Amino acid sequence: MSGAVAVARYTLIELSRRRVLLVFLVIGAVGIALLGIGLKVLYQVLASNPGSAGANVDPAALDSFLELLFVSYLFQAVSIFGLLIAYGIGMTAIYHDLESGTAVSIFSKPVSRLAFSAGKVVAAVVALVAIVGILAVEARIVMLLFGGGLENALTGQVAAVVANVVVIMLIVLALSAWMNNILAAVVAFIYYNVVSGLITTIHLLADSGVLGNAIVKSTFDVLYWLVPHQLVSGAVRELAERQLALANGPVDSQTLASIPAASGWGDIAWWAFTVVFFATFLYWAVRRRQV
Amino acid sequence: MSPVVSVTGLRKRYRRRDPWAVDGVTFEVEAGQAFGLLGPNGAGKTSVVKMIAGLMRPDGGSISLFGSNPGDPKARTELGFAPEDPDFPKFLRADEVLDYFASLLGLSDAERSRRVPETLAFAGLDAEKRQVRQFSKGMKQRLGIAQAILGRPKLLVLDEPTADLDPIGRRDVRALIERLKESGVAVLLNSHLLSEVERVCDTVAILARGKVLKEGTMAEVVPEGSNLEEVFVQLIEANQPQRDHLPSFISDTQAHE
Repeated sequence: MSGAVAVARYTLIELSRRRVLLVFLVIGAVGIALLGIGLKVLYQVLASNPGSAGANVDPAALDSFLELLFVSYLFQAVSIFGLLIAYGIGMTAIYHDLESGTAVSIFSKPVSRLAFSAGKVVAAVVALVAIVGILAVEARIVMLLFGGGLENALTGQVAAVVANVVVIMLIVLALSAWMNNILAAVVAFIYYNVVSGLITTIHLLADSGVLGNAIVKSTFDVLYWLVPHQLVSGAVRELAERQLALANGPVDSQTLASIPAASGWGDIAWWAFTVVFFATFLYWAVRRRQV
Repeated sequence: MSPVVSVTGLRKRYRRRDPWAVDGVTFEVEAGQAFGLLGPNGAGKTSVVKMIAGLMRPDGGSISLFGSNPGDPKARTELGFAPEDPDFPKFLRADEVLDYFASLLGLSDAERSRRVPETLAFAGLDAEKRQVRQFSKGMKQRLGIAQAILGRPKLLVLDEPTADLDPIGRRDVRALIERLKESGVAVLLNSHLLSEVERVCDTVAILARGKVLKEGTMAEVVPEGSNLEEVFVQLIEANQPQRDHLPSFISDTQAHE
């Protein structure tokens, strides 16, 4: 146990000094601040200009609109930065130890490969949550510029993004114990984003009746439960509802049906299983690795 | 006295179609003994010490490290291993690396605070504040030896420990080995520097192509009036095909002159 804690502690110190992660954090933080402040300033200028379209809009509605716009951009930004950070951590946290002589010195100490793997996973997850968490906290502070009301949507979306990128990070970590870290990142991307994404999309189409072929449906019903499922928060649907309400449009169930619903307990349980599966795969790769 | 490490019929190959990198190696090292493992490049020395340190699994034979399998982490509690060409987490400083490894050894906070500065001072790295990525090869080698002695081992395995060290560093390592031997620590030294081995080792084994060609005390291996280098060269040349010592284009140039 103390071995895992030591590995986690010093891996975190190492990760905190990696420039690439610092650069992602700084770019993300500056981007979020500029996005929020920029939107606010831009629309205030428009609202104060008597000739502009924004001048006749109710200030509360304008704030709601701004917040919606900010949050929808933010969702995209958090997804992209979460992914970049996951790849940044996944490609370096174990690979450099195994490829340099570091692992030789570590594994000759009375520390088990299980403790080493556990320490690395804990450090990687903590670093990922910390960096995305800092960006999320900053985003919530920037949201104070607007009317508020979408804080829970932001929290839900950040949680979903973190959950999804943790799986990608574990895949990259595990693969990087086997192969070159760049190749590991490419394989993980193809598996998680291309193959799994394709299977999930076809499964959804078959489930909703767009693809009527029974064989295709059965095949993709099986394949769907062989790949990780991306978790979806209720935030996307909440955002759509708000947009419709703001536009005074009808909030009908048909429009909302096209937007994926929040993941249920089945998907969350499957996510937990995939996390355990890939963490076990990582341990197995580290265990069989001869340094 | 039971041996600290006992290697019996050890075999290892990296791929099935490859020849054996280690082929039936057998030896023992006892407490207070300095054992030299010698051989030309590719003889299998590093493979042997890595298997003793639990870093690689043997394909045949057995290793007993303090009476246990080296794959068991507990067996490595009293092992210090300084690898050839050592490396460390590159964004940590020397004191952090030693504190990290001291934590892996399970040392208490108080013991870590005592041992880390003293070990750094021994390695001549106490004033060093840069991260490991900015270290020279020699500094990394010093740090490699420092982390190996940090746990006060009963078996110290040194794989080419002086290859990148300056003369002062070599002298320090020699003194360290002598001091450890006196205190009952077993030392397994894997080195190309035969003069170093001759000065500090009590027993040697000469390996070539994974097999032990000769093993014994220094007096048994090196006859009166000879030295270890002569014995080594004769033994290795007798057991491998003769090579032209110079490429033909160099010899031709000399002939033209």
